[in-house]
Amino acid sequence: MATATTDLRFSAAATSAKTLDRATVRARRGRFLHHLASRGLHLDHLLPSPFRLRSPFSVCRAAAYAAEGDGEKYEYDLFTIGAGSGGMRASRFASTLYGARAAVCEMPFATVASDALGGVGGTCVLRGCVPKKLLVYASKYSHEFDESHGFGWKYETDPKHDWSTLMTRKNLELQRLVDFQTDMLKNSGVTLIEGRGKIVDPHTVSVDGKLYTARNILIAVGARPSIPDIPGIEHVIDSDAALDLPSRPEKIAIVGGGYIALEFAGIFNGLKSEVHVYIRQKKVLRGFDEEVRDFVTQQMSLRGITFHTEQTPQAITKSDDGLLSLKTNKGTVNGFSHIMFATGRKPNTKNLGLEDVGVKMDKHGSVMVDEYSRTSVDSIWAVGDVTNRVNLTPVALMEGGALTHTIFGNDPIKPDHSAVPSAVFSQPPIGQVGLTEEQATEKYGDVDVYTSNFRPLKATLSGLPDRIYTKLIVCADTNKVLGVHMCGEDAPEIIQGIAIAVKAGLTKQNFDATVGVHPTAAEELVTMRNPTRKVRRNSAGKTNVEALRQK
Amino acid sequence: MARKMLKDGEVAVADGGGGESYEYDLFVIGAGSGGVRGSRTSAGFGAKVAICELPFHPISSEWQGGHGGTCVIRGCVPKKILVYGAAFRGEFEDAKNFGWEINGDINYNWKKLLENKTQEIVRLNGVYKRILGNSGVTMIEGAGSVVDAHTVEVTQPDGSKQRHTAKHILIATGSRAHLVDIPGKELAITSDEALSLEELPKRAVILGGGYIAVEFASIWKGLGAEVDLFYRKELPLRGFDDEMRTVVASNLEGRGIRLHPATNLTELSKTADGIKVVTDKGDELMADVVLFATGRTPNTNKLNLEAVGVEVDQIGAIKVDEFSHTSVPSIWAVGDVTNRINLTPVALMEATCFAKTVFGGQPVKPDYRDVPCAVFSIPPLSVVGLSEQEALEEAKNDILVYTSSFNPMKNSISKRQEKSIMKLVVDSETDRVLGAAMCGPDAAEIMQGIAVALKSGATKATFDSTVGIHPSAAEEFVTMRTLTRRVSPASKLKTNL
Repeated sequence: MATATTDLRFSAAATSAKTLDRATVRARRGRFLHHLASRGLHLDHLLPSPFRLRSPFSVCRAAAYAAEGDGEKYEYDLFTIGAGSGGMRASRFASTLYGARAAVCEMPFATVASDALGGVGGTCVLRGCVPKKLLVYASKYSHEFDESHGFGWKYETDPKHDWSTLMTRKNLELQRLVDFQTDMLKNSGVTLIEGRGKIVDPHTVSVDGKLYTARNILIAVGARPSIPDIPGIEHVIDSDAALDLPSRPEKIAIVGGGYIALEFAGIFNGLKSEVHVYIRQKKVLRGFDEEVRDFVTQQMSLRGITFHTEQTPQAITKSDDGLLSLKTNKGTVNGFSHIMFATGRKPNTKNLGLEDVGVKMDKHGSVMVDEYSRTSVDSIWAVGDVTNRVNLTPVALMEGGALTHTIFGNDPIKPDHSAVPSAVFSQPPIGQVGLTEEQATEKYGDVDVYTSNFRPLKATLSGLPDRIYTKLIVCADTNKVLGVHMCGEDAPEIIQGIAIAVKAGLTKQNFDATVGVHPTAAEELVTMRNPTRKVRRNSAGKTNVEALRQK
Repeated sequence: MARKMLKDGEVAVADGGGGESYEYDLFVIGAGSGGVRGSRTSAGFGAKVAICELPFHPISSEWQGGHGGTCVIRGCVPKKILVYGAAFRGEFEDAKNFGWEINGDINYNWKKLLENKTQEIVRLNGVYKRILGNSGVTMIEGAGSVVDAHTVEVTQPDGSKQRHTAKHILIATGSRAHLVDIPGKELAITSDEALSLEELPKRAVILGGGYIAVEFASIWKGLGAEVDLFYRKELPLRGFDDEMRTVVASNLEGRGIRLHPATNLTELSKTADGIKVVTDKGDELMADVVLFATGRTPNTNKLNLEAVGVEVDQIGAIKVDEFSHTSVPSIWAVGDVTNRINLTPVALMEATCFAKTVFGGQPVKPDYRDVPCAVFSIPPLSVVGLSEQEALEEAKNDILVYTSSFNPMKNSISKRQEKSIMKLVVDSETDRVLGAAMCGPDAAEIMQGIAVALKSGATKATFDSTVGIHPSAAEEFVTMRTLTRRVSPASKLKTNL
């Protein structure tokens, strides 16, 4: 800490010293700031326990930033609209690492978001990753109860689930997280303003009528569920509401084939609802590896979820007994207690004043940014879901971190969106990193594909039909592992370490040289010796597939 | 099957060629992990291979063993099955706060678990035999011993003996649990019996601080027994990172296991109430089962090795060079019988290297650097690379230690008081990650990918540049930005944990 303060003084002094040329100054400062960033705080994403809180890195802010010049013209160096993952990261880093004067505005907390309600923590903590994962944990138990029989466990009566216990405890945890994150912002020296922010001009934000000026404005307002406008749509729920239902759905229709739909299908199925998933396409999870798409559908069906494919919803009706009917292009199904739409999300860019100040948006309403997250207005930036790049919390964190470095570190860095791993917390879950087989074939032409579809040890005892699917996609030329996909127990946890290897551009030989951890499911990823098929593009650009082995 | 060139340039024709004629190119003694891999891979290179193994039995002896070996029949597999079974208790406890109500009694039917476990290992035993058969390997039942540099004698269960000649002999007989010599030791059991007990003990005493002791402590506790664990050091799991050992000890205690550090057992005796156990501190306690998990001895005493000149060390482990070659040119050894790193995947690696070297025409040494491993305690521990202590031992530069101790998200609802801990040990000059460790749910699964990165020399910067998978426990490994401490090799402390 003492060293850091000294360095900062040096940095500020050096900036004003005429004897040093500008390049030297920039180089020194860059090195120093990089040094700071590498030791900085990072835990403004999920913080389940105060235990993880580390003492904030405080710096002498006036020295650090006033040297930039026009700072005094504005009340803040950075004003952020939206205290979700991206907004919190950026404002905290701006303050703690660069000594910038940072403020963030956020709407009051509510489990269901609206134009006037949100909460510190944003989608991830309040209406996404965290509550979703908590419900996944809760719902997984029914599968574990089933598994336990094969291991000799027996209960006098079948375990029953009490919905209100779960909701109460989940909401207590969410409230704790809101308080915790609020404290963390304050401890970082960020000014938190409650209310809805709107941009008035390139350097002014109005929060419920009160004006704040800032040298830079960051838009980090995220996205919200979007549902199609069809007759009876007022009867349906979205994922916000689905995370906070007053009672367990008896029979639920989930419309959508994306990861949110599949995660909720697993949650409700595990908590003993009858679950029907309606998708417009032939397959779920567009954009994922084709074989994974098939595999997860199969496994979910085996756990009792019914999939209705190639059905487009047309109308919802409510009958006198309160039950809902879903009409699609193929017919009408009655008797749903709930119908949930998980049909995509829309950036929260309405009524933000963006059109008036000239911030450009695409046709979906996402804020358009360059590689440094800068919008079409020089002083306005945007990170996270509102930019609709890769809509994941850790990506918003990366974008937010890179942004502060770019603005305040005098060393522009671009967030790197390659080889970003991701997970679907369906049951069984999916973990993936890098390219799908289809993308790899398209990009590289010649690829070797290693697959394995096996029954894990636990399933041999439980007697359940659980399986695990793994896939490695390797560039035939360079032997680089281009993509890894896995569906089955623990896949998200397993893929994280693999993602380091893929990010580092490691080869199949590196995987083969690694000794397995035995007995695990993950060891399969380092023991896949023979390709299942070799995909080759001939001179005419046609792709041939040579199937070598069926496992 | 096409014949390929042998290492020495000879065509691998068993009957003739180089003047001498042998029945087989390779004769393997022991069909465990190493032996099966060695024979299959050699057969794949075109060698004519035979393998001998004892008849199947869950508890090994001089006359009983079985295809699959320790890992499949008496080790990794049955152990992991019991760990799965035992882990459900914690799950049931955790389920309550997630809203699950289990009314009435939860019963545990040990016999059913045992039956299902036995069924699974019998199945795997069959799978191994089938794999060998499909690879064209001749299977011979009986106990093998070495007669001369090219001859193996197999004694069959009925006492009949037959001799087989081979150009190369591979010894892969593994190891067996061994009992410490104290009065009443015959009342104690080893891990073999512990995996096949008729009754689940109500009171279990375990002697030993290694991974086997720790795993059985978790298994029996999870299945409902009272468990007392005795070990000589201040902490269990000698050889692992001291910080992680501390965490494991406190987790075991947190789950209700009674720890007795720095304590030995001095005497066992039989009483009407069970086995009376006396410690070197003068304490006495009663137990239904006393498990000695006090180390394993290589299975070499019946192999007639001295007579043919195969050197063994003082504990009976076969001495081999980097290519698994013994002191006799035609005899090789892999796996636990060589007491290098006694893990199934390492035996597999050694056996593959052996086959490539001898029959594949591509001499290759097994690489023992960055071998990951796991201890399936509940919750598990998994590590790869160097511990902080080892890193300091080897270090030229300062060592950077990053640790993260956190409450797993599941515990935020279940209220289980048990932290997960992760650790990275980094060279301050090269930025290379020298070691990684984790204790917490899914540690073993998480560590596999980390091991790929470490093995390939990944730097801390590479870890940092990887985007997290949210929300997972594993993402902590790529978001450890705050240095916990910097330790310089000069300042290393001698401990006696």
